[in-house]
Order: sequence, then structure tokens, then C-alpha cells
Amino acid sequence: MDAILTLATISAALRLAIPVALSALGAVVSERSGVLNLGLEGMMISGALAAYSAAEATGSPWLGLLAGAIVGVLAGAVLVAFVVYGRANQIVTGIAVSLLAGFLTTYLFQQNYSIGQVPPRLNRIGLVALVLLTVVLLALVWFVLERTVFGLALDAVGEAPEAADALGYGVDRIRAIATLIGGGFAGLGGAALVCGPLGLFIENVTAGRGWVALALVVFAGWKPLPAVVGAFLFGLSDAVQLRLQGTDSAVPYEFFLALPYLLTLIALVLRARASRTPAALGVPFVRGTT
Amino acid sequence: MTLTIGVEPRAGAVRVATSAVRSTLTVPIVALLAALIGGAVLILAEGEDPFAVYWTALDGVLFGPRGLSDTATAATPLILIGLGYALAYRARLFTIGAEGQYLMGAIASVALVTAAGVRDLPGPALMVIGATAAVMAGALWGGLAGFLQVRFGASVVISSLMLVYVAQAFLQWAIRVGIRDPDSFIPASRELGAATLPTVPGLDTHLGFLVAIVTGPCLALLLARHRLGYRVSVLGHNADALDANEVASRRVMLAVIVWAGGLAGLAGFAETAGVNGRLGDSASLGYGFTAIIVALLGRLHPIGVVLAGLAVAALKIGFEVAARSHELPSSLVGVIQALVVVFVVAGDALVARGRGGSR
Repeated sequence: MDAILTLATISAALRLAIPVALSALGAVVSERSGVLNLGLEGMMISGALAAYSAAEATGSPWLGLLAGAIVGVLAGAVLVAFVVYGRANQIVTGIAVSLLAGFLTTYLFQQNYSIGQVPPRLNRIGLVALVLLTVVLLALVWFVLERTVFGLALDAVGEAPEAADALGYGVDRIRAIATLIGGGFAGLGGAALVCGPLGLFIENVTAGRGWVALALVVFAGWKPLPAVVGAFLFGLSDAVQLRLQGTDSAVPYEFFLALPYLLTLIALVLRARASRTPAALGVPFVRGTT
Repeated sequence: MTLTIGVEPRAGAVRVATSAVRSTLTVPIVALLAALIGGAVLILAEGEDPFAVYWTALDGVLFGPRGLSDTATAATPLILIGLGYALAYRARLFTIGAEGQYLMGAIASVALVTAAGVRDLPGPALMVIGATAAVMAGALWGGLAGFLQVRFGASVVISSLMLVYVAQAFLQWAIRVGIRDPDSFIPASRELGAATLPTVPGLDTHLGFLVAIVTGPCLALLLARHRLGYRVSVLGHNADALDANEVASRRVMLAVIVWAGGLAGLAGFAETAGVNGRLGDSASLGYGFTAIIVALLGRLHPIGVVLAGLAVAALKIGFEVAARSHELPSSLVGVIQALVVVFVVAGDALVARGRGGSR
């Protein structure tokens, strides 16, 4: 194991964990307000493409991150329109958003880069800067959720929307803000994936990491710090599988390809019952129904 | 507490039957038209004439030499998987992982049918064996996600998708090592040989299409007349009502997921034995995701799913034809398909609002 857990593996783990960590943080915010965001994968991939295009056009990967976050917020606005104000089924809508974003990013990417042509690599943001950014955002999310009135209102809306409504909180407005924040984080996560050490956009670059992030939120019991720790564990298993793929091991390398997803599944299973789900998660709020 | 629970605002209302029927038909048709208009905007952006493109597509599907038969072939996996989704979604079990069940069905059937000792059996026997193996493998893979939901409360939405990635990795191993054709230069499975599905006389598509077409009405009958169908609809509306009447809702959930997985597995066999003849690198084409669109466009009704499967397949084939004479990227049709589902969801939300938010 010593050979595996080298510094290189740790840094690869961080690199792979950061996009998932950022998206999971966003999902914590929106889910605690009662909005289940199954569009997370779509918001990540939208953010990734926006970030790549912006960073490639301007030469600045930081502007790429910004563009990714903005597009994530816009994608969040679509979800808000449907599920918060339209009271549509959150699960079906989220799946629809993820499907559309997947097809749309493929289409837009093919518009600009024909198949076979190698897309240019970006100027990349260093790992240390991304780690710092993640830590700062983690602290910010923790502070807002646990230490501010807004955080309290957000939890109230996610646990007992009728009570929050009776107290004069705007349930729809708070859910909308939380979902937009969640979308922004997911877009940022996708952006961090392409503007970080990878420096490239490829079709389906997120490879299910949005769904992984959703599983990690359950694993983390809807708390920010455990969500980031969970993302690091996912990144570690991803990094280890990348490393083991190259070695002559008796285990076929395809097993390692599946490993991060298997571990995510196990994490989901282990904690699904133990975690306290926000009581109104996934339930549209209609005044005067209970 | 699971993630699959959510009360639709329109549930439980005194619904005016006629308006419900009308919106059942109106929403998908309007959604389809709206998506085509959205597609027209994209075609314009490509510098092509949308009317010409759509005309070429329609002409190609209806009157082209292989238009109808290609549409039937492309619709086969979409209908089979879509029927499974429809069944599961009626019970409010929102699985999205049929792609994995499809692959596991395909792998299991190819492995068994091409195994030494089995492969020399006569063709019809091989087809039955292959289809059975595929259904069972798909049912197991789906059932695993269902079991994790029922036993541990792990959301089937996420777990079924995680299992897609596991299945894709397993496919890579299977065609590289497990069931590899030793004579093949690139990783590919052994050929199916006598298990290859025959062409239906007069239709110019494989037998799987007939199976898919027949499965639709059978499922409709099951839902309308059989006890399971009744329980599924109760489960979709109020799971507690089942338990209160001493029917374990968990067992119904599991049954639904297993059946849905079995249908996806069958689709895997039909596609492999009917079209490709073997499994290769590109066996995972995303039918499991497109079929979500088919199920929702078909209003979760088996007959609707058959029609929606044909419509979505016709869109795909039509655009393939149109791309021969017009400059169009292959990914455009995917955007239109995804727009269909977004408009269906939007239409449903609007209809629910139109009922005055009355519950």
C-alpha cells in the first residue's frame, strides 16, 4: 500500500475530489431547503462546457470558473421555474434537466470542435488554488447554514414548510435562492474539472460525478464537512484505480474502473437509513395542503 | 426515509375525467411539436432550411427504401426498456439505470448462448435460452438496486445509475477477456451464430420488434386486469394503503423493479441478437437513457410507450436520412429528443396549474 499512497496519489485524489466536493456542497444547500436537485449532473456538465469555452476564449481559467458558476446558476433557474414555482415532480424534472444538458453540451461542443480534431488545452489553475477555493467555500457554506438566520430559515423551509410559511418566511423564495446557489456550485464543480489540472473538455467529461455527489450528500447526512470528506474518499478511490490500472495486478483493471462507483453505492447504502433526511425533501410546497 | 416520496399537487383531486383524457393526449403532442420547433431553430442556426430538413426526414422514414424497417429496428430496444420504465414510474420508483440492466442482459445471453455445448443447439432453442438469460440478468441487476432501496432505503435513482457504470466496466472486461472472440483483433465477444434473430417476412426487421410490439398490449392488460397492475397503481398513489391491507408494499416495489429490469435485459438480447450479432466496444449506446424520454412521452401507458418508441425512433432515423443531403451534426437529434421530455414535464406542470392548484 505504501507505493500506492504516495504524494502523487494524494494530489490526484484532491484533483478528482474537488469537482465532486463543490457539487456536493451545492446539493447540501438545495436539499436542506427541500429541493432535490437531480439535475446536478446536467448542471455540472453545463458548467464544464461554459468554463472551457470561456477560458479558451479569454485565456483565463479563472474567468472559466466564473462562467461555469454563472451557467450553473442559470441551469438552476430552469429547475427553480419548474419545481419551485411550477410544482412539477422534482425527480422527473431533475432527470429531464440532466438529459437535456447532456445532449445539449455534446451538440454545442461538436458545433465548435469537429470530431477527430484535438481541442486546445487550457491554461490551468493549480491544485493548491483549487484546494484553497474549496476550503473557503466549505467554510462559507458551513457558516451560512449553521450560524446565520438565513441558514435557519433554509432548514425550516426544508423540514416544515407550512410552519415556516406561517412564520412569514417566503418558502418559494428561499427554496429558489437555495436551488440557484446549488446550481452555481454544481456549475463551479464542472468548471473546476476542466479548468483544473485536466485543462480539457471532452464529451461526458463529468462521467456521473453529479450523481456521485448526490449519493455523497446522503452519506454525509446533509452536512457540509462530511460531504467534502466523502468527496475526498471518492477522489482517493478514483486516484487509486487510475494508479492500479497501470500495474500488473491479478485483478482485471476493469474492476478498478467500477470501484469508485461501487464504493459510492456502498456509502449510500450504509448511511441511507442512518441519516436524517430533510422532512420535506422532494415535496412541492402548496399553501394550505396539510 | 427515502428519496422516492413526493406528493404530486394534482393527486387526489376530483378530476374532471374529460379534461384529464384531453390533457393525456394534448401534452405529448404539443410537447413533440414544441421540440420540433426548437429543433427548427437549431437547424436554422446550422444554415439549413428546417422545412426542407423535416420534409427529407419524413419522406425518408415513410417512403425511403429502409425507412420504416430501420425505424422499427431502432424502436425495439426503446419500446422494451420504455415499458419497464413506465411500469416502475407508475409505482413512483424512479429508476434511471436501465442501461446497466440492458448491458447485463446482453452479456449474460451472449455468454450462455455461445458457451461450449450450448451453441450447437438449434436456433429457436438458443433464442429462448438467450432471451431467458437476458431477462434474468436484467431482472437481477435491476433487482439489486430495488433490494438496496427496499432493505436499506438507498435511493433507487442513484443506485441504479451507479450500477450502470459497474455494468459498463463489466462489459469491457467481458469483451476483452470473459467472452472474447479469440479470432477478433479488437475486443469483441464471440458471435451469436444460430441464435441470431430471424428477419420478419414482409417487415424487414428482426423478430425482436414483434416481441416489443406484443409486449406493450400484454403489459397494458396486466396493468388493467391483473392484481399486480392494481397494486402498482395503489403503490404509486399511497404505499401505506397497501401495507394497511396486508400487502407488503416492499414486495410489490421489488417485483416492479425486477420486471422493469427484465424488460431492459430482454432489450439487450434483442439488440445484440437482432442487429449486431455480437457485443463490442460500442454496445452501450445510451438506449437506457433515451427510453426515459419514451416512457414519459408515452404517458407511462404501455400503448403510449409503443407509439412514443416508434416516434422517437422515427425522429432518429429521419435525421440520419436528412443528414445525408443536409449538413447536420449527428448530435442534433439528441437535443430534440431531450427537448421533448422537457416540454412534457412543462406541459404537465401547466396542466396541474390550470386545474387551479386544487388538490
